[in-house]
Amino acid sequence: MLGICKVGLIIAVGLTLLYAFQGFYPDFIYVFSNAFPPVIAGAAVVTSGLSLERYWRRAKGPFPTVWFYFTLGLFLWLIGEAIWAGYTLILSVELPYPSIADAFWIGGYIPFFIGLYVYVKLFSHALTKKALAITMLVAAVLTVLVSVALLTPVLEAEEDLTKIVMDFAYPILDLALLSTALLGLIIFWKGKLRKSWLLINAAILMNACADILFSYTTAKDLYYCGHMVDVLFDLAYLFFLMAFYVHTKEF
Amino acid sequence: MVTQRTEVLKKALAEAIDEGLLMLGESGRDVIYFRLKQSYALKREDVSSNPEIFVSCLREIFGSGAEVIERAVIKKLYDKLGIEFKEKKDFGFMEYLNEARKFLKEG
Repeated sequence: MLGICKVGLIIAVGLTLLYAFQGFYPDFIYVFSNAFPPVIAGAAVVTSGLSLERYWRRAKGPFPTVWFYFTLGLFLWLIGEAIWAGYTLILSVELPYPSIADAFWIGGYIPFFIGLYVYVKLFSHALTKKALAITMLVAAVLTVLVSVALLTPVLEAEEDLTKIVMDFAYPILDLALLSTALLGLIIFWKGKLRKSWLLINAAILMNACADILFSYTTAKDLYYCGHMVDVLFDLAYLFFLMAFYVHTKEF
Repeated sequence: MVTQRTEVLKKALAEAIDEGLLMLGESGRDVIYFRLKQSYALKREDVSSNPEIFVSCLREIFGSGAEVIERAVIKKLYDKLGIEFKEKKDFGFMEYLNEARKFLKEG
């Protein structure tokens, strides 16, 4: 178990350093930041798919359903990443946002949320009303704060309606996932599944931070392919991959 | 008489554990039995004789989430023994099990 954590940490530090020193290799970071996400997302799909295959062999109970939805959600995100890479690396579109890739990214949230919901619902009786109330309150406060923080820059940018909707949709959907995943973390905190749920929460948190910063930087015209924000998206996939691997090892 | 009662409870508990764990699906149930064997040297047929180890194993994996599985097992057990299940505050798996033992003794 420590092995995967060490490897994950090395990759995370390596990715961060790679993006941090991008000034020395701007052409490389442009290609890397567009080509790497489909690779790491693909690896996360494979890891989730292996868990699905494991539970699917005897397809009774909720776990095949959970892993089917996780895998489907990640697969849709993988298609989104591949389309983005196609736009930037093959069609040389500078910033394909919004694009058809967003339909797959947004679409991926639905199965992912269902997977999380089914898993957490199964053990929901272990949650106290207080824990449930606090989590929902935190989620509501974060949603308001993020929306307020993005409101001025997004509206000032005078973008088209689709982009405005996307700018708010991603962070809000991330927070919806995060609030559900937080409940899972509370439930499994004292068990071995804690590691897996910590990583799931870390992955969703990375996505949330990345999406908030992406919305902000695109609205302010500061975003470019290879921006430091991109490392957060990569780390999110890495953490999902690790979470599913650890889960398969523990249960 | 005591042995007979113990055997009835053990048999019912074994079935209840088997059926209760199905809330995790068949593969999930197999993982629990595998864990019990691997970490606690407890075979599937011996689980009902060592309920405290079964509970420890569930808690080790699921943390607070184990309560949900324990509750499912206890409900199955009570159903098999013809006892009406009533939620009791601060009652865990072992307390419910002791209550079932008492019921059999008195009945």
